[in-house]
Amino acid sequence: MKRTTTVIIGAGQSGIAMSYQLARSGVEHVVLERGQVANSWRKERWNSLRLLTPNWMNGLAGSDTDIRHPEGFTHVSTFIDRFDATVARNNSPVQQETTVLSVRPCTGGYQVQTDQGMIACNSVVMANGACALPKVPECSREIPGDIAQFTPLDYKCPSDVPGGDVLVVGASASGLQIAQELQCSGRDVTLAVGNHLRLPRRYRGADILAWMEAIGAFSVPHTDVDDLDRVRRTPSLSLIGSDKPQALDLNALQEIGVRITGRLSTMRDGKALFSGSLHNLCAAADQKLKRLLVSIDEWIAETAQTSVAAPEEQFVPTCVPDAPLLSMDLAVMKTRSIVWATGYSPDFSWLEMPVFDRKGGLIHIGGLVAPGLYAMGQPYLRSRKSTHIHGAAEDALALANHLTARLGHSVAA
Amino acid sequence: MNIQSEIKKADNGVNVAALMDAREALSAAPEAAQFTWRAQSQWMGGVHSRSIVTGFFGLGQEHAHKKPYELDADHPACFAAEDNGPTPVEIVLSALASCLSAGVASVAQHRGIQLRSVSAIIEGDMDIYGILGMDPDIRNGFSAIRVRFDIDADATQEEIEAVVSQSQKRSAVFDIVANPGTVNVTVA
Repeated sequence: MKRTTTVIIGAGQSGIAMSYQLARSGVEHVVLERGQVANSWRKERWNSLRLLTPNWMNGLAGSDTDIRHPEGFTHVSTFIDRFDATVARNNSPVQQETTVLSVRPCTGGYQVQTDQGMIACNSVVMANGACALPKVPECSREIPGDIAQFTPLDYKCPSDVPGGDVLVVGASASGLQIAQELQCSGRDVTLAVGNHLRLPRRYRGADILAWMEAIGAFSVPHTDVDDLDRVRRTPSLSLIGSDKPQALDLNALQEIGVRITGRLSTMRDGKALFSGSLHNLCAAADQKLKRLLVSIDEWIAETAQTSVAAPEEQFVPTCVPDAPLLSMDLAVMKTRSIVWATGYSPDFSWLEMPVFDRKGGLIHIGGLVAPGLYAMGQPYLRSRKSTHIHGAAEDALALANHLTARLGHSVAA
Repeated sequence: MNIQSEIKKADNGVNVAALMDAREALSAAPEAAQFTWRAQSQWMGGVHSRSIVTGFFGLGQEHAHKKPYELDADHPACFAAEDNGPTPVEIVLSALASCLSAGVASVAQHRGIQLRSVSAIIEGDMDIYGILGMDPDIRNGFSAIRVRFDIDADATQEEIEAVVSQSQKRSAVFDIVANPGTVNVTVA
């Protein structure tokens, strides 16, 4: 049995950021990766994807200073190249093609069983991502077998999707981007819209995320949030990265011909049924957008940057059809494919410890799960930044400090 | 025994002949079939509100009920409320039972089945984690609704079951609770 001080599970942005911090502190460790470095970015993204965060938000493990175009949006393949370069430069101890089968506590720490043997360690950092499994509603099982079903984890490009109309379920970043790509490829797309956010790409002359960073929207610590469960469930930022900044909202999609309708509530007798709550969901997204823009306007006024920022902008309310589609007979309609962009969940099925809530969610306080057991890269782990690539550095530093302090303590004892 | 004599024989107090005449007349005047139903509601304090139903639009004109009808809705003591009336969801259950019962009487009349008694027990299950905002995966509304009719009539069990089936097929409230519909809420 191999021994090391810390096992990091997953060589994504979180895992390599933690490895970087532990190396700086001289903590012996290994990063276990089921596939290759940045595996989900490599295998579980669609071909055209660009990061929706500008480059200044995509710093990796000590490499955030050498970005040449801070406002640009990187294609996922370029991002993977940067990953490889970072891991090579940091000389990170990544053990690829190693799948974790179980993690259980033992005297003095943890036993990590992998398909390449057992590793005993003092501490474990679970940096295996928040988007391991697509969350697909149960009613997907009732979809007729001749209709192709995709999730953003296995959708690659429009030509993979059988000819005919497409139903995209979910209007957060993945759903909006895939709906746009499919509609532009000549398909007729219907988009089922549930709870969602609306964001402009640019506001008052700057990227919306630059404003959100400026007003501190990403930095509120998890300890200062009223309802942490709720913010951890916040839908993804409804944005798209592209050469020329473009707004991607329900109005933009309707302009290119996408039909929007309500949340998919269930399947019955071969019909997809859609909720009649579309008006309210769109009104709520518009209201939230307005509140965000007002707080940006206030920040600009308070910090006396009015002369620098472009003038205030108004956004037209989301256009809602008078009679949105309430049901779709999948046998009659020309719909041949469904894309479930209905969210993701992490996979901790190998963690053999009672650290889950009644719905199977991992219980943690700012990434601390149990003595010597840490989680990273989960939504609002320590702040809103935790969801984004550049949040990994801050979280890794905080958790590495905790981890090394604990090591010092147990050595002294 | 022919159907005509059966219709004459049964009397459930439903004027089926008038309804059939209306169907005939409306087939030539589809615009007259457009109805708009209304209720006005007033907040009474706490979680108590009172709805008043006075009239509706249909057959091309406004109609007034014989008199205004009031419906109070409140919440019981375990919701820390005053219990001045049934909860809104109990009113929905009542509406479903009423609509189906009206259908049973009409369909039975039309089929010449004499009813002696019709009663229904209606139940709706709800996990209040939904309305309390404790779990986004749990819906606010009923997870299941059960209606059990107890019908005494001059008919076989199969005939009674067929009447109950047909009443669901033609019930407005059954459709409203079982199928999606667009709701648009605005602020004046």
